Amino acid sequence: MAEKFDNLEEHLEKFVENIRQLGIIVSDFQPSSQTGLNQKLNFMITGLQDIEKCRQQLHDINVPLEVFEYIDQGRNPQLYTKECLERALAKNEQVKGKIDTLTKFKSLLISELGKVFPEEMAKYKAIHGDDPPS
Amino acid sequence: MTEIFSSLYGQPDSQGPAGPSALGFGSGKPQVPQNMGPMCFPHQMMEEGAPVRKPAAMNEPFYLLRELPMENELTGHTNLITHYNLEHAYNKFCGKKVKEKLSNFLPELPGMIDSPGIQDNSSLRSLIEKPPVCNNSFSPLTGAMLTGFRLHTGPLPEQYRLMHIQPPKKKNKHKHKHHRPQDPLPPETPSDSDHKKKKKKKDDDPDRKKKKKDKKKKKNRHSPDHPGMTGAQPSTSSLR
Repeated sequence: MAEKFDNLEEHLEKFVENIRQLGIIVSDFQPSSQTGLNQKLNFMITGLQDIEKCRQQLHDINVPLEVFEYIDQGRNPQLYTKECLERALAKNEQVKGKIDTLTKFKSLLISELGKVFPEEMAKYKAIHGDDPPS
Repeated sequence: MTEIFSSLYGQPDSQGPAGPSALGFGSGKPQVPQNMGPMCFPHQMMEEGAPVRKPAAMNEPFYLLRELPMENELTGHTNLITHYNLEHAYNKFCGKKVKEKLSNFLPELPGMIDSPGIQDNSSLRSLIEKPPVCNNSFSPLTGAMLTGFRLHTGPLPEQYRLMHIQPPKKKNKHKHKHHRPQDPLPPETPSDSDHKKKKKKKDDDPDRKKKKKDKKKKKNRHSPDHPGMTGAQPSTSSLR
């Protein structure tokens, strides 16, 4: 799994570096730089071809659209991961609280009903079995 | 309460109201005679063919009783972060402060990448919404095509030099270490915190510094202390 990303990352880094060098050549262009510029332009195309090849390996990877929004706003996309994890944990705790409360309520209700309607509750327990202690 | 419960579960009760009408199921509905056994809902009585409930349950007083739902193996009762082995990711992202800016995530990327992409029309959203019209394949430029890239000599105009401007990097020298009690899982090891304490002590008054320097000199004669202990952490590689 990680190799696929490493491969793409490597190609992207090379591509970015090539673009940076291209920018330097263009920023103060000299006639002698034309050969280098042509070479860099063709490197750029080779780089795009390499990145295109990586697409086949990563067709099963889904990126949430929200991540792009973070990037577009100039924010660290790791913040998205962080917020996702925090939200997941908060929801997890919330659901756990609900389950625990309902389990307690159920056992309390059964015990109270057992006091008032012992016969019916004995039949009920015969059908459903005793609840595990909460 | 007892009366209602008794009527609910079909127990003979001469005093209390009998049948579904007592529970507000409608007085016009047919009442079930008590000698017929457990009570049923009117719609169940009217149904022909197979009964909805199990025959075993029919004999019981609980005519609304259903089978308990199947217990799922995985519910919100379990810690799902632990279940999916995401503790490492949680500690990594939630245990410490994640820097806000994009340039902190991609420090090696040239140009001002922290500004919103809408400003210079470089947003990824626009790339998805309006993909560029181009061929499916990339072919190298031939000699004739490259003639279109002959440039004028001399430096670029100011407005096009943005690519070489890097966002200012903050110095972490005088940064105060805040203790955040709300951190759920502190990522630091005990050795790390000791190391930070040492660093904090070093940033005290100049007079104390002098004294400490003298002390250190004396100490260094006896024990070689490693000077690189207070150094900054190694920076992460780009695009990670």
